[in-house]
Amino acid sequence: MEKTLIIGFSVAMIVASFLIGWWAKRKVTSNKAFFGSTGMFGPLAVGLSSTAAVASAFALVGVPGIIYATGNPMTFWMLSSAAFTMAYIILGKKVRAMAEIGEVASLGDISDLRFNNNRLIKALLSVVIFLGCIAYLSAQIKAGSELFAHLLGWEPIVAAFVIFGILTVYTAISGEVGGLLTQAFQGLVMVVAGVIMIVSFYAMTGGFGNVMQAVGSLKEAVGGDVTKPLGPDFLNAWGRLPGTISMVWMLIPILGTIGQPQVLTRMYALKNPKEMPKLSLYAALSHAIVGFFAVVVAYGVLYLVATGKVNPLAVADRAIFVFADEAGFIAQLFVYAAVLAAAMSSASLFLSICAGIISRDLPSALGMKIPENRQITASRITMFAIGIISIFFSIYRGDMVAILGTFGWGTLMSATFPVFIIGLLWDRANEAGVMTGMIASLGLNLLSLTSFKWPGGMPGYFYIIAIAVSLTIFVSLMTKEQKLNKKLQAVIDL
Amino acid sequence: MDISRKRSALMVLIAFLWLGITALGMLKLFLPAMILGVVLMFVHMFLGVARKGVVSKAFLVYPLLAWGVLWGASFILSKHYSDAFAGQMPAFTILGLHPSFAWTVLTYWIGGMLTLTVGFMFLRSEWLSDKDWDEFLATIASGKEGA
Repeated sequence: MEKTLIIGFSVAMIVASFLIGWWAKRKVTSNKAFFGSTGMFGPLAVGLSSTAAVASAFALVGVPGIIYATGNPMTFWMLSSAAFTMAYIILGKKVRAMAEIGEVASLGDISDLRFNNNRLIKALLSVVIFLGCIAYLSAQIKAGSELFAHLLGWEPIVAAFVIFGILTVYTAISGEVGGLLTQAFQGLVMVVAGVIMIVSFYAMTGGFGNVMQAVGSLKEAVGGDVTKPLGPDFLNAWGRLPGTISMVWMLIPILGTIGQPQVLTRMYALKNPKEMPKLSLYAALSHAIVGFFAVVVAYGVLYLVATGKVNPLAVADRAIFVFADEAGFIAQLFVYAAVLAAAMSSASLFLSICAGIISRDLPSALGMKIPENRQITASRITMFAIGIISIFFSIYRGDMVAILGTFGWGTLMSATFPVFIIGLLWDRANEAGVMTGMIASLGLNLLSLTSFKWPGGMPGYFYIIAIAVSLTIFVSLMTKEQKLNKKLQAVIDL
Repeated sequence: MDISRKRSALMVLIAFLWLGITALGMLKLFLPAMILGVVLMFVHMFLGVARKGVVSKAFLVYPLLAWGVLWGASFILSKHYSDAFAGQMPAFTILGLHPSFAWTVLTYWIGGMLTLTVGFMFLRSEWLSDKDWDEFLATIASGKEGA
């Protein structure tokens, strides 16, 4: 009976998402609306949507697992709620202003406006963003499908087609308009789930003090052939990983939030740019709840293991489900719905961005112009194609999904920082500089797919970002200054 | 504070900060790298808040400098207490948290988020006033240089 209710609740969420997407198609009155929902929504919808799109299934499943396994370094990443406000302070008014000086329906359009329709920059930007987004999309499909295949007793491919097939349909029907609204709804589900999990944590453990006592006073926990190292240092700020990892997991998500397509695109979705501070409030608060949710889940499971209530986990990613099992029926109801919401919200956004790149930005960069009145149709067809291919790819090529997993947050930063962050903060950033940064970004990202190992123990994307940004700046300075038109100068001066 | 002629210098600083942080990370000097990371983020916000090359002193002090001090202190205190209690149960906890991790929660997460967000809300006109936006729209409508 409980399992039926859990499944029913999650199905209700999928159906509600579909109905919202279906309803939203009436608001698709232009290409700008379909591709970018440009200037259409208020701060609450955009804030919830931003949180949902940023917090993928990794946030709710992977993060508690990593904290359970290695301690607190990953909390720097997950408690990065200040990042939204930082992103809007840095770039919010400029990105939004770009939508006033030209037609902006995608990040490629902003690149065109800023860099004189430079096709190479747009092509490189499109390729790297596509790689990052398709990696994310595949990971969401894999995570969501496996979870519900297990719950429903179905084959993963069937679960994938049901869940992500429905998602593909409503995303194709209503584009970014439906995408943003469904993400806002899914964000709300995640926030409600977060509140319930946080309350469950305190009810289960009695608070952080008890967790500290249980974990800190035990050298290790053994059970079911698994030994889980614990100890007093486990819950300090740095956990079991080198301090450098904490540094990377602090800087990359905080500064990197501004370089994520799901945050950048939402900046120009905001109707009134003067409401950006309010947007930052909604995004920060909703993210804070979801972030804390992920942390307390890990702490709750550590407590259960340390007090012998459950065996140490053989697979750390099971943490959230173990927590929900112990927390009770209501928690289980919301955990499955929240994980599904996280996977779907991120998947719909990345599907939309990928389709826009394939059907609009990349053809334009290659000199092929699809007539404006055909672009939406082209994008819908592309969306269906990418959706179906991604489903098969994610289920049957799990090895490739794991490899693609190296592309993600950092990869996207290495593409967006030269073009948008440096490009919109600095009028001296020129085409030569940005092209150099982008070529380096693409080349080094592809190098990361080989057996090449970066020295120094940090993840490859850190070096790539540093190199791409530095090259952009130094080459811009060493090459001829490009005069900006008055409108563009007004944006940079804003 | 007029930074209109200093944008390029600040960009060069950003490049050197990225490279410096990378080098420190390779040398496993993570605390100095984190502090430089705070400087890097601060410079980005400094550039972002400027209006026609002028940074509001009010916004600079709060929330920007306040946030920078909070985060710098957070990382230093986390390191201090992790070293102080290495290998043993800490002599005290802060709200039940290890004294090293408590600063991540209190100053990095809650303090940082509230400082930036509340500051941004209350001083939003220092970032983008109604006049700024109206002037911008007038500039792009007329195609003339803003006043």
